[in-house]
Amino acid sequence: MNWSEITVHIPFFGESIFLTIDVFIAWILLIVLVIGAIVYAFRKRKFPVIRDYLYTTNHRKVGTLYMIFGFIFFLRAGLDALFIRLQLALPNNNFMDFQLEKYNETFTSHGTMMIFFAAMPMLIGLMNIAVPLQIGAKDLAFPFLNAVSLWLFVAGGVMFGSAYFLNSSPAIGWTGYAPYSTAVYTPGAATNFYVFGVQISGLGTIFAALNMIVTIVRHRAPGMKLIRMPLFPWASLVTSFLIVIAFTVLAIALYLLMFDRLFGTSFFGGEEGDPVYWQHLFWFFGHPEVYVLALPAFGLFSDIISSFSKKPIFGYPAMVISLALIGFLGFMVWAHHMFTVGLGPMVNTFFAVTTMTIAIPTGIKVFNWIFTMHGGSLKTTTPMLFAIGFIPSFVMGGVTGVMLAVSAADFQLHDTHFVVAHFHYVILASTILGIFAGLYYWYPKITGYQLNETLGKWHFWLFLIGYHMTFLPMHLTGMQGLPRRVYTYGSDEGMTALNFTSTIGASLMGVSIVILVWNIWQTNRQGILVGDDPWDGRTLEWSVASPSPEDTFTPMPFIECTDPFWDAKTKGQKLKTAPNPRPAPIDEHTVLPFLMALAVLVIGFGLIYQSYLTAGIGGVAIFALFIIRSFRDEHTSFHKEGARHE
Amino acid sequence: MKKLGIFPLLFLLAGCTNSTVLNPKSTTGKEQAFLIWFGLGIMLFVLVIVFFLLARVVINYREKKNGLEEYRPKFISPKKQRKLELIWTIGPIVLLIILAIPTVSTGLKQSPVAEAESTMDGVHIDVTAKQFEWTFIYETDKEKHNILLLPEGEPIILHLSSMDVIHSFWVPELAGKVDLVPGKPIVYRIENPEIGVYKGKCAEYCGVQHANMTFTVKVVAKEEFEEYIAK
Repeated sequence: MNWSEITVHIPFFGESIFLTIDVFIAWILLIVLVIGAIVYAFRKRKFPVIRDYLYTTNHRKVGTLYMIFGFIFFLRAGLDALFIRLQLALPNNNFMDFQLEKYNETFTSHGTMMIFFAAMPMLIGLMNIAVPLQIGAKDLAFPFLNAVSLWLFVAGGVMFGSAYFLNSSPAIGWTGYAPYSTAVYTPGAATNFYVFGVQISGLGTIFAALNMIVTIVRHRAPGMKLIRMPLFPWASLVTSFLIVIAFTVLAIALYLLMFDRLFGTSFFGGEEGDPVYWQHLFWFFGHPEVYVLALPAFGLFSDIISSFSKKPIFGYPAMVISLALIGFLGFMVWAHHMFTVGLGPMVNTFFAVTTMTIAIPTGIKVFNWIFTMHGGSLKTTTPMLFAIGFIPSFVMGGVTGVMLAVSAADFQLHDTHFVVAHFHYVILASTILGIFAGLYYWYPKITGYQLNETLGKWHFWLFLIGYHMTFLPMHLTGMQGLPRRVYTYGSDEGMTALNFTSTIGASLMGVSIVILVWNIWQTNRQGILVGDDPWDGRTLEWSVASPSPEDTFTPMPFIECTDPFWDAKTKGQKLKTAPNPRPAPIDEHTVLPFLMALAVLVIGFGLIYQSYLTAGIGGVAIFALFIIRSFRDEHTSFHKEGARHE
Repeated sequence: MKKLGIFPLLFLLAGCTNSTVLNPKSTTGKEQAFLIWFGLGIMLFVLVIVFFLLARVVINYREKKNGLEEYRPKFISPKKQRKLELIWTIGPIVLLIILAIPTVSTGLKQSPVAEAESTMDGVHIDVTAKQFEWTFIYETDKEKHNILLLPEGEPIILHLSSMDVIHSFWVPELAGKVDLVPGKPIVYRIENPEIGVYKGKCAEYCGVQHANMTFTVKVVAKEEFEEYIAK
């Protein structure tokens, strides 16, 4: 059967949409799922909860929504990955219609969604949940802005995700290299979905980072100097600075590309333009982005390893300095993605050497983690298992990184499955294992329940084995001559067995995710409350109730050391409290952030289909929302209410 | 944990021995393969140390089931800690300097350069790519699509440019890849190819038929090559 020939036609914005059969099936599944969810919400009377979360600006609830939507996009991008692996399982394979353009769309969606709509949001979600609790802040500095960030991310993700359902998925790779991404070579709506989807959610990410910086700098509990802060907030702080710089550059690049595509400029193509400018801008964002993904996981693992080894972190100052150094060096290595572009021998050599230097602070961190465990009492809970699994896996990705830094070796390895193996090794080991560890670790703070440990261990082992089975053989297929982003290979190229192993590994990871979903479902259904401090933790978040209430830290603790909660526990005392409560950010119950994101979504769709009237309506709507917002002031109403209570 | 760590390494080493990139058929390719092996060697050394330390720590310091009351964290003295931290700061620096020396020397020699800066002797061939076809033009103005003939043992100077989007020229057996960027012709040099027939690929994603944008490279004796381009 030829899948790609079965199509359905639907008119949309003056264009006719062709739905291939897989898209049609996806539509039916989506509709069934949405109806199922609505019926479920009705029967279980969940609408007040949904309304509460729609209106909330509380950091834990916003963080939870970040996690939920991030996880949904993670499942979608994970499905893409499975389709890629099924198509590559055998030589000259024809799995459904996942060849040629459909394959190109699939790897583009997989990369873009995993980076922008799955990994980053879930990390930001964990920051939202944990950072205020760890530093003794009652909320993020700007709760309203936090909700705006969240809904902008959701808007961007939904917009990008909808491209598939409208059968106009972008097919330019997650790197969107010009001139292929300009209107000359990819006209039409598809590539616009990439430009605007990433742009809108990127805006939210920048807001989130600014919010995090101000929170960490201004809202720490009294006595919590920066040098007494746990490492997760430290990592979040460094990450936020990286985001502010890197995402601004990405926003500029996307704006220029938007002008090239919609308004006939030629920054990246044509006579005057230069496609290499895009690569510089993109990788000046793209490389720090790798550290945006990795550093929060480093911080999180530091806290987890310290907790479950029952020891303070080894070499705390070195850990902080190396975090900052990695962040700093991250901006000096972007051209190592461009060794083959012909920037010249001097440039190549310079960036080869700077890239290698990153291995030094990273190595310091690895040894410090190992020596944190040395002399401790290791409790192999699920979060700790993820942390222990992270170290060797991440180091394996790190060493291939150093191999790739060797510029002449990179000529061979660049853009092959060796590189695919390398970046999946580092990103999965740090970010994805980190997110899982954080989810298991802080689940009590999010819901009050603890995820099932047996299922958690099944999840861990299946995922870890599947992960190595998938990506280890790719080092070899890459050196065997398999470029990335090709949908097929010959049976005479001697990589059939390796590719088949990868596909089995990928499906093992898929099974492990099913176990995770089952675990979450079961845990929430049983609803066994576990108390404030189920892990015997060391840091402040374990001193507040589970799930964390909207009004935390009354009375405000006074901090005199790192690991203050542990210190108090071992001395059999309560946390010292500060005499004066601090003025705290004020929560609000408002639907404005959601509406603002909705308006931006309308602008985005208008521009994607070049219906400027639609974009204009969205623009008027958001301007009106700005005016409404400027007349509402939660501070005034909060203090009025306070006066009434007295 | 220990077993788990070593198994994939053996797997990796076993696979390397028959790989295309690591059994190159030109001097350029051999230099690159040497760098990959050299890098891999140093990095395996690092891996073994990390895996060994991690396995030891995880095995030795697991929570004792009954003795929790007696547990006191064992701390390393500040003096020893300073020593350890110095070791794992300076050690990697030394290793990286060892790796950086061949990196710099080969990198300076092999990196592709802009066309204007090149004054190299050898067999010059213009390589032009467009979606989804390769064109090779020899010094005699002979033009051929998707088949590239090279003379054995000569330095090959490729002048690469693209007519539309970015492509990348890659013959795994002969040398690493080099991009073809529209409007920016660059020059790449392959030294001393050996006789044989090899598969060339486009290695930069360039559109629908990217996977099928392949070409065939035949390295032949010098006389045969001259006869071919004269025709």
